[in-house]
Amino acid sequence: MTARDAALVAPTPARAPPAISAAGLRRTLGEGDLALEILHGIDLEIRRGEFCAIMGPSGSGKSTLMYLLGALDRPTRGTVHVDGVDTSALSERRLAVVRNRSIGFIFQFHYLMPEFSALENVMIPQLRSETPRGEARERAEHLLGLLGLAGKEHRTPARLSGGEQQRVAIARSLANRPIVVLGDEPTGNLDTRNGELVFTTFERLAREHGQTIVVVTHDPRLAARTQRIVRLQDGSVVDDGPPAEVLARAGEAH
Amino acid sequence: MRVRPLAFIARRHLLHNWFRTLISVVGVAIGDCFMILMSSLMAGFETTFVSDTIESSPHVTILDEHRDPPDEFAGWLSRETAGVVTVESARPRERRYRIKKPFETLEAVRAKEGVAAAAMNVVGTSILNYGSREVGAQLVGIDPEAQDAVVSTDEYMTEGRLADLHSASGAIVLGSGLAERLGVRRGDTIGAALRAAGGAGGLAGAAGAATGASRSLRVVGIFHTGIVTIDGVRAYTLLHLAQQLLGLGRDVNRIVLRMDDYEEARELAADVEEMVGYRTESWQEQNANFLSIFTVQKVITYVVTGGITIVAAFGILNVLIMLVLEKLPEIAMLKSMGYTAADVTVVFLLEGLAIATIGVVLGTIGGYWLQQGLGALPIPMKGLIETEHLTFVDPPRIYVVATLASFVSTLGAACLPALRAGRLDPIVTLRGRA
Repeated sequence: MTARDAALVAPTPARAPPAISAAGLRRTLGEGDLALEILHGIDLEIRRGEFCAIMGPSGSGKSTLMYLLGALDRPTRGTVHVDGVDTSALSERRLAVVRNRSIGFIFQFHYLMPEFSALENVMIPQLRSETPRGEARERAEHLLGLLGLAGKEHRTPARLSGGEQQRVAIARSLANRPIVVLGDEPTGNLDTRNGELVFTTFERLAREHGQTIVVVTHDPRLAARTQRIVRLQDGSVVDDGPPAEVLARAGEAH
Repeated sequence: MRVRPLAFIARRHLLHNWFRTLISVVGVAIGDCFMILMSSLMAGFETTFVSDTIESSPHVTILDEHRDPPDEFAGWLSRETAGVVTVESARPRERRYRIKKPFETLEAVRAKEGVAAAAMNVVGTSILNYGSREVGAQLVGIDPEAQDAVVSTDEYMTEGRLADLHSASGAIVLGSGLAERLGVRRGDTIGAALRAAGGAGGLAGAAGAATGASRSLRVVGIFHTGIVTIDGVRAYTLLHLAQQLLGLGRDVNRIVLRMDDYEEARELAADVEEMVGYRTESWQEQNANFLSIFTVQKVITYVVTGGITIVAAFGILNVLIMLVLEKLPEIAMLKSMGYTAADVTVVFLLEGLAIATIGVVLGTIGGYWLQQGLGALPIPMKGLIETEHLTFVDPPRIYVVATLASFVSTLGAACLPALRAGRLDPIVTLRGRA
């Protein structure tokens, strides 16, 4: 491991709090008669360095959970701690800082800015955190190289393939050395080969760099490559454990 | 908040969508440009009229009548008897209109503060003829030297000089339009109808019956002020000759004044009227019709240019709303990366600011340039005033007002979509797309 690679993720202090912990998490959408509770009290702890998959049928509350874990949304009840900080008590401004410094989001669609090159897209979160431009640029180049995009840094998203676009999005999520990378079906829009490639990248980031990653996926074969699977159903955690066991129990249930 | 990364994003948005940016900028520029153009054209028109008027007409004129003429007997009788007695077919009494003691009055007003010069005039209507052509003219009897001190007349002479009136026993100077209608040139001899002595010689003039006799006059000069209503009717002759032609004996019916400051004419006219008792009009009162046109014209200018500006602002509003709608996913992504609502608002405000600034700069330069260009084009006009070119007057105020109005309206239009973009909930966008 080179010195540069060592700097890929934030150094973990001794006796560090869990990357994310959620307690009694409830989220209600809509108001009055239309109010609908999506999550019914979720307790979940993501340890540092963990590569975890969240599975569950459509409408089971996976995305809602991700938004809450990523400080993009506030729980109706319960608390979320990111790196030991209770985000449910923070102002909008402080929440934005948490998202910027501690969270890296990847969505089903890459949401790259079409006017900017791959390199600039990776620099944008760093510019918000007031990283000096030269440093931001250097890190963006390093991340793109790590994700196999060397030589394509100056292409705009329109001139990259779907898999490449999603890899730029991954590089962007890593730009500020986040505590945790949250992927909401990051392979949902990719073909099998590119989906595999993205998961290979995640595996490498987790194994070689100790990056904490939480990924929502429908694909059991991809989920099997993680270290832990959390199964959601109708807004509650119904299973949680090593992939082989969880997948086996899920198979029996059907 | 650090603005640099936001400016980086805003600039790229504008440059990447350069065509849309260009259209927005041009929209702002056109609004600004036309506001400047319209304002300076209207100001030019008014300034030309006012400066021509104050140069070629007296600033203050004392007339030979009273502002509230005394009741004719019959009218008084009808009112007092509450209609029990009615008088029909009453005619105004034959009254001789004149300014009494003209020399004393002249000296008195000359001594007043603010009066630069004063002169006596005799004004009446005369029929001029040349061959079989007959044209009604406003005949003004003057003392050339005293008159020129009050009204710049000599400098408008295109042929001959005002002093040439002394050169012959019966000399006359005609307005260019009048000369044209008569078909005469300098040196020609025309006829003027003689009116019976003692006839009323008011501006209405018809009361004084022509005797049928005619007096020969030699055209010694022609003047051209550019104001069509003057050039087409006015003729100057010596005071005593006008008195003779109009049958006024030795009476004087006008005293004309020039002021040190023409802006104070209104106040001075009221003062003089109180002092001498005769109706006294300022140039503003005499030209009230035209000046009221300018007021209406100003309102129209503001309505039209305001409309242009508002349309341009709606254009910006439209473009930015479209831009925000198009950028929904990226706005959601920016927020998920830790950009705040204020950050996102500032990005779009900066875009509005850039469009407004560039548009206003281009519009102001364009307005100035277009004005110079149009002012140089020969566009002969003969209406209320006669000019060879469009006249533009561009005091800095016009640029400041147009620039500010365009700038503020554009930025105002940018506020709405910018605030909306900032308030967008990223989750709504993300759920909608997933």
